[in-house]
Amino acid sequence: MALLEVKDLVKTYGDRNVLDGVSFVLGEGDAKVIMGPSGCGKSTLLRCLNRLIEPTSGAIIFDGQDVTRPDVDVRALRSRIGFVFQNFALYRHLSVLENVTLALTRLKHMPKREAEERALHELDRMDMAGKRDSYPAALSGGQSQRVAIARALAMDPRVLFFDEPTSALDPIMVREVVTLINRLYLDNVTILCVTHDLGLAKFISDRVVFLDRGKVYAEDRIENLLARESDPVIDEFFCGDG
Amino acid sequence: MLDDVPFFADLVSYGPQILRGLRDTILLSVTITVTGLIGGVGVFGLALSQNKAVRFATQSYISLFIGTPLIVFLFLLYYGLPSLGVTLSPFTIAVFGFTLNVAAYNARYLTIAYKGLEQAELESARAQGFSRFQVFRLITAPQSLRMSVPALTNQAIQNVKDSSIVFLIQYIEFFAQMQEVASRTFLFFKTYAFTALVYLLLVSVVVLAARRLERRLAIPGIG
Repeated sequence: MALLEVKDLVKTYGDRNVLDGVSFVLGEGDAKVIMGPSGCGKSTLLRCLNRLIEPTSGAIIFDGQDVTRPDVDVRALRSRIGFVFQNFALYRHLSVLENVTLALTRLKHMPKREAEERALHELDRMDMAGKRDSYPAALSGGQSQRVAIARALAMDPRVLFFDEPTSALDPIMVREVVTLINRLYLDNVTILCVTHDLGLAKFISDRVVFLDRGKVYAEDRIENLLARESDPVIDEFFCGDG
Repeated sequence: MLDDVPFFADLVSYGPQILRGLRDTILLSVTITVTGLIGGVGVFGLALSQNKAVRFATQSYISLFIGTPLIVFLFLLYYGLPSLGVTLSPFTIAVFGFTLNVAAYNARYLTIAYKGLEQAELESARAQGFSRFQVFRLITAPQSLRMSVPALTNQAIQNVKDSSIVFLIQYIEFFAQMQEVASRTFLFFKTYAFTALVYLLLVSVVVLAARRLERRLAIPGIG
């Protein structure tokens, strides 16, 4: 069953179509990767889906509801979507535990003790419970990303969005985070991930939506895309990406 | 040194008057530091408004108060308002005038700190479902305030020193009392040296408290 259905999504800045009629479907428990050259609209797409950026036209059916409608409770929509950012985006003035409990107590109105139990459960799942009292500045990139994932999971989201989750990490940490996201994938967490990282795409996704100049250029399994050696757009992207 | 004996004897005889002045200086300094901080946070919040007109008005207010001498506003209120049929006590005028001025400076410090915040954190909070006001209250304001502690505490020190100008609008605080002591005893040098020493002590107390606060409120790993 489709959890998210994107239909003919357009986002225009001035006379430039950053997204130009994007359509795809994400099923419950699926993991899909969005790839494409820099500036093709990947991050804009992700932000349109939770309306951090307002789409110009098109429909986004999330959980059976068109969330582009003006009467939609955008904040409630966002709280059902976990979003993990490229640069972790942990709140620097809060400890690891507070980072995870903040939305639980303030948005879900969970009692503090219950929120802490929930947060510690998710931090433990990410092997970060031991760092509960540390501050973000004391964490490595990989540790920060694990806390960011725990923070997103604690809200019990219907889907997890990742925006370039490995691009700010060194190779060892990339492996660590890829393994972690792969574990979520195997646990049937619904994932939509924007990445340039071929390794990550191979490990965590069923299918890749390949964007080029704001349009869906191809949607296929990663091995099938890699096999398209004669396709200049795809070949240039993967060869250029190393 | 023997001259000092009559001076200190004079000080003792003027003791209640001097202490009253000291109390009023502390009262005014503490009041304007608190109201200036609250006002500064409010103005800072308005400076981040989505509404262009509000942002323009806020920036104009900040520029106006930073760009003009405080005494002009104190005189405007003290001498100007009665002509409009409004008469306020010197203390009320001092608090009002200082608050407008200090809030503008504090808002500017907070705005500068805001520019140093990670915008991704604010976007992340919005993505979690927090409202714009919650993002301000839970992320923007606490971080900006904590990063501005050195500037804000320097402003508090400035408030103690600047409070001495309110004798010009007839608020009789410590400096005004010491002027009277000097004019009665004719010991100008000693009286004003003593006045300077008391201000130095007052400021030192604020500095010590400020440094403690800076250490306590520093965001770990950031400063």
